[in-house]
Amino acid sequence: MALSGRFRSALVIGLQGIRARKLRTFLSMISLFLGVLAVIVVQTSSVLANRELLTDIELSEGKDGTVVISMPPNEQTAPVVLDALRGRADAVGVVETNAIIGEPGVTPINPGAMPLKYADQGGGATKMICDNNMCYPEPSTEAPPPRGQAIEVRLVALTGDIRPFRPFPTVSGSWLDFTGAASFAPRLVLNNEAADAFTRYRLPAEMRMDSARAHSTPQVIGTIHDGQAQPTVYMRLDELVNWIPASTLGTSSGLTVLRTQSAGAVEQYLQAKLSPTSPFFPRTVDSRERIGGQLDMMRWIFYGMAALVLLIGIAGILNVGLATVGERVEEFALRRAVGTPRLLLAGIVLAETLIIGLLTAATAIGTGVVGLQLGSRLFGGNHPSLQNVGFPWEAGVAGVAAGLVAGILGGLLPAIRAARIPIATVMRA
Amino acid sequence: MTPLIQLTGVGKTLKGQGEPRSILSGVDMTLHAGESVAILGRSGSGKSTLLSLIGLFDRPDDGQYLLHGNDISRIAERRAARLRSAEFGFVFQRFFLLKHLTAMQNVAMALVNGQGWAARRRRRARVMAALDQVGVAHLAKQRPPRLSGGEQQRVAIARALVREPRILLADEPTGALDTETGALVIDVLHAATERGCGLVLVTHDHAHANRMGRVLRLNDGVLVTERAGVSV
Repeated sequence: MALSGRFRSALVIGLQGIRARKLRTFLSMISLFLGVLAVIVVQTSSVLANRELLTDIELSEGKDGTVVISMPPNEQTAPVVLDALRGRADAVGVVETNAIIGEPGVTPINPGAMPLKYADQGGGATKMICDNNMCYPEPSTEAPPPRGQAIEVRLVALTGDIRPFRPFPTVSGSWLDFTGAASFAPRLVLNNEAADAFTRYRLPAEMRMDSARAHSTPQVIGTIHDGQAQPTVYMRLDELVNWIPASTLGTSSGLTVLRTQSAGAVEQYLQAKLSPTSPFFPRTVDSRERIGGQLDMMRWIFYGMAALVLLIGIAGILNVGLATVGERVEEFALRRAVGTPRLLLAGIVLAETLIIGLLTAATAIGTGVVGLQLGSRLFGGNHPSLQNVGFPWEAGVAGVAAGLVAGILGGLLPAIRAARIPIATVMRA
Repeated sequence: MTPLIQLTGVGKTLKGQGEPRSILSGVDMTLHAGESVAILGRSGSGKSTLLSLIGLFDRPDDGQYLLHGNDISRIAERRAARLRSAEFGFVFQRFFLLKHLTAMQNVAMALVNGQGWAARRRRRARVMAALDQVGVAHLAKQRPPRLSGGEQQRVAIARALVREPRILLADEPTGALDTETGALVIDVLHAATERGCGLVLVTHDHAHANRMGRVLRLNDGVLVTERAGVSV
């Protein structure tokens, strides 16, 4: 109860002091504002950069905690995987191969499914091979067919919905429906790069794949963003199997299984069926930790700079606080004369600087929110990552913490001075 | 009957950079409830120092200080603050009203001091009662710069009385006022003694001193009785 009384007293007197010295309060806030704002900007940038990097990595590698298993290449692999994962939501099999869509019997404009910015630059005596990391030329002894109206795409065939693991946002149309029967006209979902290729070139709807029994006529049902630079199309694996025998897929294409942490039984089943003697080497995605490590150094450098600016703000509060205590010597001596304990006098000064710190933090957070909205509107068109971006709560917490720290550090010395003012000052005056 | 205050052989020495200088020496003094005592003396004779010791602003170097019969000569600052709040009311020559606060808020300062907490309504009632007691309740919402010297001093007295102290200490409360206003202020202080409050008045003014029950004089730190009062 006594503490409550003292706390309330400090708050009441602190607010009275702030009301009495509005200009000084304002000046203190100005000196602190830039410091707190710097902390908020650094924290916001860090959170947004982290989020952006994480989103990209989630699209290409999978969400944190996803277990990735590379399947052994043999004839049994694809049929077993297809059979084991059919209808499951906690695991998905992914087969990757290449396909050419367009005019038959010609060299595509982007051999090896290379990104379109390299279109018409490769081909000829070499064959362009692309993987997740890079594209590289591989010498070819065969005389290439003439270049024509066709593009090569990376074809990703799925046993089920991959989006719980890689959250591809839909750009237009719809995503693959895994519930109905497989269609003989393969339904394709394009990534942005592939969609761009179809927009740029007028291509006949004919799809060719190595080892396929015949050419198929695909139907495009939607576009997604998958963060890939290569033109990529997604389709159901059971629809692919209509054209390429499952036994061939397991040997000629890369087959990967993504599963949740709780779907360990699937892995055990596949292990028993496909590789009973040599174990799988599953990898668990932990992007957050990896990115955190990459960003840490940069973040701390910026935090250091923000701390310097904050320090200048604290010096401003300290300066104003000391000057104010100097002017209020008689007031504090009088308060002691009427029974105010030293600790409460220190509390009054700290309450004032803390309130100033919190008010400044609130102003800086408000500025941050408005600034981010403004930035989003002005630059969102050129930078998709800035579109519809919300103010991160971590930046708000950092701002409040910076305000509190500044209030405490800036008010500590004036508070100690106030508590030490001799009571006899009122007698000597 | 136990006196409110009993000083026995109290001394105070100023220890500065040079030789220690004795300010008070062997001071004996008592104050009973309802009694008023005036302390006269030249400037620098130790009047304010004595008031500081009585009001627990400072501690004596020698002697004994009993408050209600309890020895508080070496009391810790924390307890001294509590006693200053509960037992003493202070009136100073320069009023010491805070300009940014209204008369009411200035008086409430003695209640908002971390020694307990009164709800706003109760605080307001006590403040208004104290202002009424000194005849300035109608000025409750005025700020000090808009008050005359006499009104300001009466607000300062209301601040001293609001916690209903048992001892009032007044350090030249009329020093900044004209004779007529000064007399009115002394009336207000005197009225407090009629309600059982002990009053110690430090003054240069013989007329005001003569209105007190007893008159003491400080000569170079030694307290002597100039006029004894009626035994209480």
